[in-house]
Amino acid sequence: MARRGFVTVAVLTVGMVALASLSGCKLIANEEGATTSDGVDIFFDDESFDSDKMAADLWDEQVIPYLNGKAGDFGEVIALVAEDPDAAGERFGYRANPDGKPWTIVARLDGTIVATKLDTRAATVDIDEDGDGTADATVQIGPVIRGTVLRDSLDFVSFGDFTNQIDYAKFGKSLNTLVNDTVLNTFPREGLIGRKVSVLGVFEIDPSDDRPIFTAAEITVVEPSS
Amino acid sequence: MTLKRTILSAGLAGVMALGMGSIAQAADLIAIITPSHDNPFFKAEADGAEAKAKELGYEALVLVHDDDANKQSELIDSVIARGAKAIILDNAGADATVAAVQKAKDAGIPSFLIDREINATGVAVAQIVSNNYQGAQLGAEEFVKLMGEEGNYVELVGKESDTNAGIRSKGYHDVIDEYPDLNMVARQSANWSQTEAFEKMESILQANPDIKGVISGNDTMAMGAWAALEAAGRDDVIVVGFDGSNDVRDSIIAGGVKATVLQPAYGIAQIAVEQADAYIKNGSASEPEKQLMDCVLINADNASKLETFALTN
Repeated sequence: MARRGFVTVAVLTVGMVALASLSGCKLIANEEGATTSDGVDIFFDDESFDSDKMAADLWDEQVIPYLNGKAGDFGEVIALVAEDPDAAGERFGYRANPDGKPWTIVARLDGTIVATKLDTRAATVDIDEDGDGTADATVQIGPVIRGTVLRDSLDFVSFGDFTNQIDYAKFGKSLNTLVNDTVLNTFPREGLIGRKVSVLGVFEIDPSDDRPIFTAAEITVVEPSS
Repeated sequence: MTLKRTILSAGLAGVMALGMGSIAQAADLIAIITPSHDNPFFKAEADGAEAKAKELGYEALVLVHDDDANKQSELIDSVIARGAKAIILDNAGADATVAAVQKAKDAGIPSFLIDREINATGVAVAQIVSNNYQGAQLGAEEFVKLMGEEGNYVELVGKESDTNAGIRSKGYHDVIDEYPDLNMVARQSANWSQTEAFEKMESILQANPDIKGVISGNDTMAMGAWAALEAAGRDDVIVVGFDGSNDVRDSIIAGGVKATVLQPAYGIAQIAVEQADAYIKNGSASEPEKQLMDCVLINADNASKLETFALTN
């Protein structure tokens, strides 16, 4: 799967560049094919907004430091989620809108892979954190990452900052794509059971889930390391 | 976008300087303007808003713009003339509506938008919309699962002037396009319309008899497509909609349409009226302008709990 990247600026007309600079819009790369792989035309999709660039610009500078600052250790986090979800959310997470959005929770998870689901493009591994042999959390390992919890966990990015839902959605997708292309692409797909991993990630409090489903911002195999 | 925005913001600055003088208003009128109630989704919105407005002691004026931006503009004029205290609006076009809402704002009447966004901020007091992208992803994930991650499918898209048509299609494709064995053979707009979806589905089916699924941008189009498929003896085709209407609920229970995504339309309309009430009383917004409300997947497991765009327990 080719990375959606910055396609040449040459396709832009001089006029568009002039307008972009006139309005202070700094994003000028034309994201050709960013809509869909079939070249489907999405109404209101403003191709002058480069969500991949926004995600890349924020990732090291803001997203990772923010997540590190918010994250609690999984055991402590999950105990508080069970006891008082709102307190857990306020301490370890964020939600944009109490009426309409669940809490997102940031946690550090260290444990052993006890199960895998690899027969789908939305592949996952199940992690035993407390050493009792049963899964305590599920981690998405791509290439399909469901949901937008990475975006939704950021208190410094809000829906109102974007022109419309489409730009907001593109940014969420771009964060997932970035994780897929720079973090999950090196994650092994074989011989996973029994390996120890370390994850910094986000999950959403959803009582209908059997266990927290993490979207990883960082994931490393601790041992055996290769 | 850039040109439009530049002109718009220059225009806004000028208008705002002139337009903030207050105008005498009737004591307690809230106008509720939506697309035609032929689609039960919009009726549910109007009913939810009207019930909440009356509960809070307002007179409610319920109007429909029939997705006609000119008619919407005339309705806004009449509402201004009536001295409404606030407007609850499910609008007739993301671009065309900006000027109409600005006109109300200039007359001192705050607008609270529901369901559909406009492509400008700072004009309406609130834009409370379903999290269409999240909902579309839920619908698409269910569709992918039902399709077994493979096969030919058709997409029915909504009305081009409505951001929701774009965002749902994007949500669908961001999920479905990750599966290389799912192949879209046709993609057409049926303008949210049941009859148009019926006709389009008939002709699509003739050209592409080998389809396995249809994913639709809303429930009325899903119902139209399902009727065409059933008439053609193709009730094996997987159909997924969006909205959470009682029609699709009944179809799911009867084994027809397979799934939809509930937008909490009734609740969103009520929240909008509550925020309008707070604004009228306090003179300032109680929440950020742009607010997203998550959607819920509806399938055979929970369809029986769905009633008038809300889930019961």
